[in-house]
Amino acid sequence: MNDGLVKILDGNTFVVSDERGDIEASLTDPTGLFSFDTRFLSRWVLTLNGQRLNPLSVDDLQYFETRFFLVPGTGTVYIDAKLSVIRRRAVGNGFHEELTILNHDEKPVNLTTRVEAGSDFADLFEVKDALEKKGRYSTRVDDGKLLLGYVRDTFERATVVSASEPARVTRNGLSFRVEIEPHGEWTTDLDVAAVLPGLPGARGRPKYGRGSRRARPNMSESLEQWVEEAPRVECDWDSLRTTYRRSLVDLAALRFSPPVARGQSLPAAGLPWFMTMFGRDSIFTSLQALPFTPALAATTLRALGEWQGSRIDDFRDEDPGRILHEMRYGEMAAFEERPHSPYYGCADATPLYVVLLDEYERWTGDTKLVRELEFEARAALAWIDDYADLLGNGYIWYQRRNEETGLENQCWKDSWDSISYRDGRLPGFPRATCELQGYAYDAKVRGARLARIAWKDPELADRLESEAAALKRRFNRDFWVEDGGYFALALDTEGNQVDCLASNNGHLLWSGIVDKSKAASVASHLLGRRLFSGWGVRTLAEGEGRYNPIGYHVGTVWPFDNSFIAWGLRRYGFKDEAAQIAAGILDAAEFFDGRLPEAFGGYERILTKYPVQYPTACSPQAWSTGAPLLLLRTMLGLEPQGDHLVVDPALPQTLGHLEVLDIPGRWGRMDAFGRGRVQVESRRAHARRR
Amino acid sequence: MTDVVDQFFAELADRGREPLLERVTGSLRFELSDGGKTDRWFVEVEKGDVSVSRKSLAADCTLRAERKLFAGMVRGEVNAMAAVLRGALSVEGDLEHLLLFQRIFPGPPGARGPRRGRGRQKGRR
Repeated sequence: MNDGLVKILDGNTFVVSDERGDIEASLTDPTGLFSFDTRFLSRWVLTLNGQRLNPLSVDDLQYFETRFFLVPGTGTVYIDAKLSVIRRRAVGNGFHEELTILNHDEKPVNLTTRVEAGSDFADLFEVKDALEKKGRYSTRVDDGKLLLGYVRDTFERATVVSASEPARVTRNGLSFRVEIEPHGEWTTDLDVAAVLPGLPGARGRPKYGRGSRRARPNMSESLEQWVEEAPRVECDWDSLRTTYRRSLVDLAALRFSPPVARGQSLPAAGLPWFMTMFGRDSIFTSLQALPFTPALAATTLRALGEWQGSRIDDFRDEDPGRILHEMRYGEMAAFEERPHSPYYGCADATPLYVVLLDEYERWTGDTKLVRELEFEARAALAWIDDYADLLGNGYIWYQRRNEETGLENQCWKDSWDSISYRDGRLPGFPRATCELQGYAYDAKVRGARLARIAWKDPELADRLESEAAALKRRFNRDFWVEDGGYFALALDTEGNQVDCLASNNGHLLWSGIVDKSKAASVASHLLGRRLFSGWGVRTLAEGEGRYNPIGYHVGTVWPFDNSFIAWGLRRYGFKDEAAQIAAGILDAAEFFDGRLPEAFGGYERILTKYPVQYPTACSPQAWSTGAPLLLLRTMLGLEPQGDHLVVDPALPQTLGHLEVLDIPGRWGRMDAFGRGRVQVESRRAHARRR
Repeated sequence: MTDVVDQFFAELADRGREPLLERVTGSLRFELSDGGKTDRWFVEVEKGDVSVSRKSLAADCTLRAERKLFAGMVRGEVNAMAAVLRGALSVEGDLEHLLLFQRIFPGPPGARGPRRGRGRQKGRR
């Protein structure tokens, strides 16, 4: 890995170490063994006769398991290369490590092997913000095991370290006296268990034992099964096959099973720091992956439904019916120093929840789940009118009530400067960003359909439909920037347009809120010079006051954003334009070996020739992983219609032939084929590295 | 002497049906300790139909806490899920049941709520 760190994970347990497999963390240093947002090991250092080891190679076996090959000595000159060391580590409820030392000499060897262990029990938030601990630490040796503990009031976390071979256990580690025959080997198992008393679903011992070959990473389903059950992609373009495979494997790694999901999984937001439930990210990723792995959507809907807000709580920005933003399990959430237990401050997840429920039913025909979640879906629909309309004028507005630790911008562009006027000024609060109104419109339209087919409530359906129609009229009047021919980014409290041109216009097409007469103008902006870089649509148009090609939400290109924009373009019949965006993003994926980053620079494609990655801590990121999946759907024009799957391909000419086989849905399994016919601006050859 | 905890369970029993618990089918056992004394309640829910007793039976989800803490939850002063994370409310069995059950606890007293929502309500839904 380019940052020199090796990361493996299982659910929300992960290990970040150096290339030797060692961990030497400081408070601000993001290495260690983490589980449920707490660091359980901050020190884990292996020595032979007091010497550190030197890495030869790292073998990333699977995302939850790795192997380190080491030799004694440091630097480039080996002091003794007649020994080699293998550490094989699998993560799961802590980790299991098989430590093997090989003697390549003709003489026997005597060694003192030592593993130092320690923990600061830092909260993930503390690692980010460098805060001090308020509880007490303990260390003791009991029955040959090393017990590291942390207690603050009723909050307890512990790490138990043990070995299969006899060891001298002290308060800061384990030592072994090792004698190895000529050409012989010595091996021990090391188990590190993360203990969280009182929290169901957190077992007190590592998941793997010696020689556990049948790995069961975070789920009951193995990686092989997961890939096998997904549709197959055949095409002439090697890179697209690689990207598809990469997406499936990364999506498997991002599966997260929250304690209430009964072992079922939903997509977490990103590796390793966002391995938790996020309303927005889990919903968007589930939507992207629907044609490929529909089970993710079902779990997302169930889990988010169970955590749905039920009361007014200003600290958590919670309202009845609101879908959560982010859930955390660490000390700071526990003591309410952070509001994430869970935190509800986002304005889009609630309408999107209804959108996902409907889209899920359209694909799978699972009306049972729609009936099961009737209460939650109705509450989500009610939230739009009863709690989100802060100015009483029929729009979703957001303003945090938790001024200290809540989120200022509660839309997907959540950085401080993402919402601005053309001249760069920032509007006050509350704010009504445009895409939120689109999601609300779509939620009402889809909610009406669900009310008819599953809840047998035609009255509600009629009401939702008339509200949706009124919202659409209002929106097309109030948000339309007459002299620009696009929709404003937001409205401010005075009713003025926050008049920047931004990628949010694509989400409006996706939601269906755009008047037909305005769609062509919107589409031409999305593919126009100011927004389209050649790779994709920029978050903010060139020429706006705050435009910056490497600004997080003010000029970079987000693959996730683009996948929904492409879907929106198709919805309004702009097939060629959708194909152009798909071609650009999939070309970019080739430069990242199939793993699209969260965002890349908004520079002109002809200028840089390759996409410049925006530096972020998390990779893979769930909704970037899902982007190629949604682009496959939009290029092939896959659309459920009744019990059938309609295929209406519009592929970029550069793609050649494309087949997606065994697409699951209410029709059973179906295949889709297409051949590239759409002329796209920049040819694939142009994007190749060589 | 009855306190908010007794009152809470008595009211729950009286209501018989609780729309907020429509998703729940299963049983919860509450063990609330106060000094040396532990009181038990057994709550059975069948798609929102609630019955409360003092039977000592095994449940799908057993909750243990100090009575004082539970009284805080009933008054909306203590958040149940944060209490679980803190270890102050211990859960044995199915966390899902607690998650759905805690919907009936009110929000913090004196919460402002959204600035100007129509149909704005205080406390519980």
